[in-house]
Amino acid sequence: MSTPTGSPVGRFLWNFRHHPKRELWFAWWVMVIFYQLYGVLFFLVTRVQPPASPAWDTPMVVQWFNDRHFGLLAGFGVVFLISGLCAPMNALLAYSMRRMSVSRVFGYSYLIMYSLSAIPGMLVMAIAMTVGALRPDRDPELIHWLFDFAFLSFSGTMGVFMIGSLVWLVAILIDKNGVFPKWFGYLGLCNALTEVVVAPAWIFHRGVFAWNGAIAWWINMVVFVAYTACFIVLLRKMIEREDFGTGPLPDLPPKAERSQQDSVGAVQ
Amino acid sequence: MTNLQEDSSTEQFERKPARFVPGQPDMWVFVLFESLLFTGYFSVYLIGRIQNRDLYLHSQAALDLRFGIFNTIVLLLSSWAIARCVQASREGAYRDALRDAFLTIGLGIAFLVSKVLEWVKEIRLGNRFTSNEFFQHFFFLTSIHLLHLLIGFVVMGVAVYQLWSPVRRSQQLVETCATYWHTVDFLWVLIFALLYVVR
Repeated sequence: MSTPTGSPVGRFLWNFRHHPKRELWFAWWVMVIFYQLYGVLFFLVTRVQPPASPAWDTPMVVQWFNDRHFGLLAGFGVVFLISGLCAPMNALLAYSMRRMSVSRVFGYSYLIMYSLSAIPGMLVMAIAMTVGALRPDRDPELIHWLFDFAFLSFSGTMGVFMIGSLVWLVAILIDKNGVFPKWFGYLGLCNALTEVVVAPAWIFHRGVFAWNGAIAWWINMVVFVAYTACFIVLLRKMIEREDFGTGPLPDLPPKAERSQQDSVGAVQ
Repeated sequence: MTNLQEDSSTEQFERKPARFVPGQPDMWVFVLFESLLFTGYFSVYLIGRIQNRDLYLHSQAALDLRFGIFNTIVLLLSSWAIARCVQASREGAYRDALRDAFLTIGLGIAFLVSKVLEWVKEIRLGNRFTSNEFFQHFFFLTSIHLLHLLIGFVVMGVAVYQLWSPVRRSQQLVETCATYWHTVDFLWVLIFALLYVVR
């Protein structure tokens, strides 16, 4: 096996070919890139988030589509292109549960639920929005129908996220391998409870419980972003600690020792 | 000599348990998150109240204060019971601790029944979730709190499970469960003050 050279490119290539954790790091970087792209595409390019008001009348909805015509088509074009990135992301999340001292049922149920949630939460919404934007001369009532369909489809995934958070929470709390800290499990409960709050969006057209409301969307989004940021960092730590065993994950050595080990590893 | 002194003081420092809070510190992170989350909900409620003061005052008058006071007393008593449970468990009096844990659950059930009766009464009076903005907040805040209480029963089940057998009896877990229960009580006191008292 050739050794890594001093240059960053050489080290990258060596890691790419021989690093024992390369698949895990690949999935982790996919996750980081996916969430960055998701934010840019949904908030800046297509501008479908923050959501528009469900109380709008048909002319306003048509105007909303016209204002975003190119953004919706181009943005969701990219969304369709990158939707496959969900697979390694979900695989890494399921891997974290497989590394715990808990039944495989946790990892598998999480994997299935999150794989399915991408369909209504991202793809169905993207299809409905694209169909609405494709022909601006379409019957305005149909465009309004697509608008409702898209946002309800997006909001409808909240139940999956709620159960997913609870599955992860239980796995973390009963795990003896210390893959994740217990506080993240409790944060999962916090996240699951905020998903419950989306349910009134099916009743209200305006106010704080509508699908664009302060409680049903804004507070939820803040909690979800915090939750996501936490698990991205914790998954990184998990990969760093991974020893490919089945017992407790070892703790990371202090930073000074780690940098020394890294330089030794690079020389080796 | 100096080295010896330094060593012994370091050893003493290391031996001293680094315990700042009762139970798992992780549960206190949850308390912090929940407090922040409910601060958000309360802020939204207060902003709505400022914008539509008359409606909120008028709707508040329709609430039965007796239910609110009864529920607050019941939940405060349950907090007292769980505190006694922790104390008894610390002293090794597990029989007493179990009795207090069951008392906590019993008081929790009393709160649950009283809350459901209050909802039924309000709905019969025509005050529903969709009636107006105040009742949206009333039913939302009381429901999400009741959900915390239901989770509290699961948490108390963990505490009872721990106290039941001499093989388990993790003091840290019992205290973690107590911390959760106190959070449920703490949130209720704030909800009670905002919905029933603040005029």
